[in-house]
Amino acid sequence: MLVQEDLLTPEVLRDPYTYFGHIRENDPVHWNPRWGGWLVTRYDDVARAFRDPETFSSDRMASLVTELTEADREKLWLLINYFSKWMVFTDPPYHTRVRMLVNKAFTPVSVEKLRPRARQIIDELLSQVEPRGHMEFIRDFAFHLPVIVISEYLGVPVEDREQVKEWSDETSRVFFIRADEPDRRERSQEGLQRLLEYFEPMVHERRKHPRDDLITALVQAEERGDLLSDEEVLATCTVLLFAGHETTTNLLANGLVAFMEHRDQWELLQRQPNLIKPAVEELLRYDGPVKATFRWAKREAELGGKTIKEGDRMLLVLAAANRDPRKFDNPDELDIARTPNPHVAFGHGIHVCLGAPLARLEAQEAFLALSQRFPQIRLAVAPEELQYHPTIVARALKELPVEW
Amino acid sequence: MARRLRIRVDYDRCAGSSICVLTAPGVFRLNENGQSAVIDPTAESEEKVLEAAEGCPTMAIIVEDADTGERLFPPPGALE
Repeated sequence: MLVQEDLLTPEVLRDPYTYFGHIRENDPVHWNPRWGGWLVTRYDDVARAFRDPETFSSDRMASLVTELTEADREKLWLLINYFSKWMVFTDPPYHTRVRMLVNKAFTPVSVEKLRPRARQIIDELLSQVEPRGHMEFIRDFAFHLPVIVISEYLGVPVEDREQVKEWSDETSRVFFIRADEPDRRERSQEGLQRLLEYFEPMVHERRKHPRDDLITALVQAEERGDLLSDEEVLATCTVLLFAGHETTTNLLANGLVAFMEHRDQWELLQRQPNLIKPAVEELLRYDGPVKATFRWAKREAELGGKTIKEGDRMLLVLAAANRDPRKFDNPDELDIARTPNPHVAFGHGIHVCLGAPLARLEAQEAFLALSQRFPQIRLAVAPEELQYHPTIVARALKELPVEW
Repeated sequence: MARRLRIRVDYDRCAGSSICVLTAPGVFRLNENGQSAVIDPTAESEEKVLEAAEGCPTMAIIVEDADTGERLFPPPGALE
């Protein structure tokens, strides 16, 4: 199949659905020579890869380490050491052990307790901007909500929040493959170092004096006598911060754009706020915050009629799977009442997003509040002027000006 | 005597995290779709079954008292 192979052109960034949809319909497991890996685009193939971690590895560090020179490996040892402890980049049995322990501290029931506080934060943020009649939705709202929620949940004091957020953003640079950042690995390590220095005394403190926060829950999590080490608690704090920031921001921003472009669905939510849960699932499916996620083949395997060789890398394209007409009726339509909605926006299988209940809760409360308080909200620019960050993984708007 | 449990998996919710299989291995296993299936509700203690249900990241496991029908997990309102 003849296809334009650059995944970062303005057209692909603006509308990945048409681009990846074309691949899904014509060459569903597609070798992209420019990126040097396979694009997996059909729902069933993506789900199969998610379900088979024995074959399709998440061990990003193993592959990164082989790409680095000896000197770079030495320079980036801290980054490699900690990221290789992040659940998202590990395989069983290490992944199983840490996930089971962290899972105890981060259950849907414990997350649900944050709902009243999330509502309050949303209310305060919206009250600040309401008299203005306009806002840059990301900077003024979508940015703050997840940061405040995850910081408070972890136990970061209010006065440190901004600083911690900045370090976390630096740390995350390495993951969002941006064409415009050659020094991103060094900056990432620098940010990580600051975060570790910040959290280390907190972890020691919580071991001695437990509080009602997530760091305490992490140090106390126990399974058959097994506990997380300090290093593992620290790695988990940094991954939760990182994962709890940008992704939820993008879910909120992309969701609002989807509503603005489907006014009927926005009005439907105003009339029927009880649709909020399926509505958020539909926003995740329709234009979720993560376009794709990586896997590495640990052994030769067949997928969608193609032979994946040992060592090959793959992009599981969630943005294509979630619009697969073999799985969803009218996949390109936004239907906030859609049920069931087995989207893979949070992944599937052993790596399914740990923070999904928190992201759902924040999005549900945010869109409920917005639809009730700002029913007239609209884009302050033409939709075609919206710009996305040049990354393969994240579906991330640069700015989202709105008015009411 | 321990009460009898009725354990159900909501397949619209189950994302195959395997947490339940690891927590209460005699009760749950993954089926051919990579989703959880109940094989023997009596294989582990009620405590372990409830721990598995509470640990499920998608709240896909519903536990009831088989005789009275009382729902033991999730708490009221959590699924609506």
